[in-house]
Amino acid sequence: MNPKPKLSSKAITVRMYYVGFGDSFLLFVPASDGRHRKILIDCGKHQQSVKAPNIADVAQQIIEDATDADGVARIDLVIATHRHQDHVSGFEKPGWDKVEVKEVWMPWTEDPNDPKAVEILKAQSTTAGAVHKAAKKKAKLTLGATQQAASAAAALAENSLTNAKAMKTLHAGFAGGKKIPRKFLPHKDRTADTFQVAALPDVNVHVMGPSRDPKVINDLEDASQEYLLLARSEPTASNRALPLFQNLALHPKEFAAKHKSLTLKSTDIHRLNNIGDDRELAAAISNEAAVNGTSLMIMFEIGKAYMLFPGDAQWGTWNAAMNDTEWHELLKKSTFYKIGHHGSHNATPIDFVEKILRQDHFIAMACTGPTQKWTDTIPRPKLMKKLSEIAKGKAKGVIRSDKQKKPYVDLNVPITGA
Amino acid sequence: MATKPGYPQPLSRPLKIYAFDPMVALSSNDTTIARSSSKKISVDVANEKLAPGPQGARIEVIDYDGPNRRYYTPVDLNDPAILMQGGLEPAESDPHFHQQMVYAVAMKVLENFDHALGRKLRFLKVSKDRQGREKFMSVPLRIFPHAFWGANAFYDHDLIALLFGYFNASAADPGQNMPGQTIFTCLSHDIIAHEMTHALVDRLKKLFTEPSNRDVLAFHEGFADIVAIFQHFSFPSVLREFIQKTRANLRENTPMVTLAQQFGRATGIGDSLRSAIDEPDPRHYETATEVHTRGSILVAAVFEAFFVTYQRRIDELIHIATGGTGILPEGDLFPELVNRIANEASQTAQSILTMCIRAFDYLPPVDITFGDYLRALVTADRELLPEDQYGQRAAAIEAFRRRGIYAKNVFSLAEESLLWECADEEHFEPFPGETLREEVISDAQEVSYVNLPKSGKHYPHHKSRQRFNNFHHVRKNKEEMRAWAKKHAAKLGLDPALKIDPIGFHASFRISPQGQLVVETVAQFVQTLPETANSTSEDFGGVPFRAGCTVIASADGSVRYVIRKPMVSKKVSKAMHNEAAQRLEEQRGFVNKFDSIDPRNPWYSPREYEKRVALALNFEALHRRAIL
Repeated sequence: MNPKPKLSSKAITVRMYYVGFGDSFLLFVPASDGRHRKILIDCGKHQQSVKAPNIADVAQQIIEDATDADGVARIDLVIATHRHQDHVSGFEKPGWDKVEVKEVWMPWTEDPNDPKAVEILKAQSTTAGAVHKAAKKKAKLTLGATQQAASAAAALAENSLTNAKAMKTLHAGFAGGKKIPRKFLPHKDRTADTFQVAALPDVNVHVMGPSRDPKVINDLEDASQEYLLLARSEPTASNRALPLFQNLALHPKEFAAKHKSLTLKSTDIHRLNNIGDDRELAAAISNEAAVNGTSLMIMFEIGKAYMLFPGDAQWGTWNAAMNDTEWHELLKKSTFYKIGHHGSHNATPIDFVEKILRQDHFIAMACTGPTQKWTDTIPRPKLMKKLSEIAKGKAKGVIRSDKQKKPYVDLNVPITGA
Repeated sequence: MATKPGYPQPLSRPLKIYAFDPMVALSSNDTTIARSSSKKISVDVANEKLAPGPQGARIEVIDYDGPNRRYYTPVDLNDPAILMQGGLEPAESDPHFHQQMVYAVAMKVLENFDHALGRKLRFLKVSKDRQGREKFMSVPLRIFPHAFWGANAFYDHDLIALLFGYFNASAADPGQNMPGQTIFTCLSHDIIAHEMTHALVDRLKKLFTEPSNRDVLAFHEGFADIVAIFQHFSFPSVLREFIQKTRANLRENTPMVTLAQQFGRATGIGDSLRSAIDEPDPRHYETATEVHTRGSILVAAVFEAFFVTYQRRIDELIHIATGGTGILPEGDLFPELVNRIANEASQTAQSILTMCIRAFDYLPPVDITFGDYLRALVTADRELLPEDQYGQRAAAIEAFRRRGIYAKNVFSLAEESLLWECADEEHFEPFPGETLREEVISDAQEVSYVNLPKSGKHYPHHKSRQRFNNFHHVRKNKEEMRAWAKKHAAKLGLDPALKIDPIGFHASFRISPQGQLVVETVAQFVQTLPETANSTSEDFGGVPFRAGCTVIASADGSVRYVIRKPMVSKKVSKAMHNEAAQRLEEQRGFVNKFDSIDPRNPWYSPREYEKRVALALNFEALHRRAIL
């Protein structure tokens, strides 16, 4: 059992758990009534993680850490930034039904009463399922580059499968079940996206994303369309006996005998036969980015602390937030930055780092861990270095969950002073 | 087919095609689509010796079906049965017609380029011999009408080929197609013309596939759309029909000004793939990143130049036809009026398209921006046609301005300031005499040569192939040009200490409006900043920083224009060095931006990561997600 964090009335205590490749943060927020409120942001681990703890143990740990003196676990606010496995898989583990929760927040794309949300969710999950199935099959049947692409596709797509059990906890679970209010954010009305809730006194919430702009939303669905269109009726080894125009079709050998000058070299044939072989990988990558694109991007303003949790937001959400005058001003004030998408390059725009974040003003945390496949790109060393250089307390640099001796790390973010 | 001596040879061969695609050909009720009568049309393609395939001198169709691992028998367009009906009837179920259509449309695009450029383009295969020296082979461009399974089509640089996919239309949302119906991208005029243009742009400017700034690939895509859309205006029957239908307002949303309707609807996009009409907004050029979206800005600008010029040209006609009111009466327009308007429209379209293609000779060899293109357009057009009779240059400048596309380092948007600066002749020696003579003569032979199937003779295209196949000769000329460039390096904006690559040298032959023959020679040189040449530099993602220049000279080799993208170097002038340093910084910035929006970024293997920006030039990937 972890020791309880040392709480302060002048600082928010952020406990970041080591989950492997994934995210999990528990915040203890001081309020003027002298009590601390607790916020849980994500709890999940990627299947591709290596050297990672069992996520059920982490979930158990979180519940213990959230348990008050009377022996009851209480979390005032649970946030699931988006439905990827590496952000929610912990919620499928046992124990949550005993946890008293006041509110649950999810991105608007989770709203079961919003037809557009349902459509997006369906497109993303269907694609993930179809890609996962096809890629696994392909990985077994092929060799070389095709095999590699297929297995990478399967690994990626796995992250976006429905994660139904975890989502059920988030949508209907915890002590209190469906009676707990669920909020799907941001609101349709932009002016309502800065608000306060009774569960979190003295906290100003700013919801910056995901955007509801149709142009941004299109990106969330497009990826799936072509893949699904093609996957359904692709000619395969078994139905190849039925070429398009049977009467005029010739076997390559027959053709070579009749039309020598038009006959292709075997290397060209090979190239042609393999066009689209990485279709699953392309679809898996777009879909992965699309699901990341549904990430809830939230800033908590508590006293002088401005804490930015962008989930795994992608360019579309970031761009919209940076171009919004009000959000832009708030982003500049950030004193805490949860590094997007475990430290990958494209989840933290360069403009945000170089033009918006104030030097020596913020602390950055990355919840990340090793995988077998993406060792050099996540976290991206160059980004980590750059953020370390400009973050507050240079000696410390960026606080990373995978660089700790303990399975968690605590950080105090002051709410007073500059 | 050898014909009997004494029969006059026809100059062209009639072939039938879908003017747009099979879906547009079928529709009759949709208001945005015209009656089906004119949707199957006949085009005249320059007559050449053809073997079954069709297999011509510059294009050959090979019908290998990858997904099914089969070939389809090649069509023989010389078969009397086909000749007698002026080409096969359009039919979706007949692969021979598919072969005919890709050949015919690709040839029309090729002819447009030949005409505008004043020379004949051949496709080249560059390889290395055993000593590692370059070999140049003239090869035909290959077209595969049923290459692969996919809602896509693309030009493949390595195969020197156009590859067309096929797929089944969406079952849920197929537009006017039958649910699940097989859609052939090779039956879309627009898709064929678009891909063919990619091949030709790559042939003319091979480094335009290197995304060194956000305009480079957008230019490739936009230009391909421009050619596809303007080619619609060369079909008289179709043009007349849409003029009648839109009452001469060619800006209306019809297949004339949109791209690939069937494809768009079959993939569930719900409409055509792209359109030439936009709401001009300068912010768009500032912010758009996706290459097709960016390319559309260029398309819309060029189309506006067309439309404004066309309006000006038909004003008088409308004036006469309406007794001075300018208001067209209700009901159908007089057929005579429609004919006259159609005539103006097709001439304007041809003139704009020619202007657009001709600009290629006046472009720098690397790192193109839309602003560079505007300058090239204006300069090239003015060189040949000093008087802007119908104001098409002025219209182009204005249309670009309205979309926020400006040229760098110019004083104003006046035509004179947009012209590339004339070179100071005293500073440059003429191109080396012997190389120049050989180039002009062999290019002239190529232009005047017509590949007609005369009986009993050898086909002279073997002769012109010899030129490329004589590697020794090519290499010698190349070395001479390299020496010339080295001598003038600093003034060309190049660093004499770095290797200079002569990547092109050709002559062009055009007829001025006064009937004079205008001969120009054009040489292109490139060099690479060594520290960016290897993919080890993460900052560049596999696209090196290059400098280059295009040198335009008269027939006697005296230099007239030097169009530069300078190198960072102490050897060039301070101004050029600063310009280069800024460009280098911008390229870094572009890579950063690219990384921010590239969804693949976290998932590259280390080897792919090094080349990630260069990988974006892959047209297959670029055209995925139903954007061709």
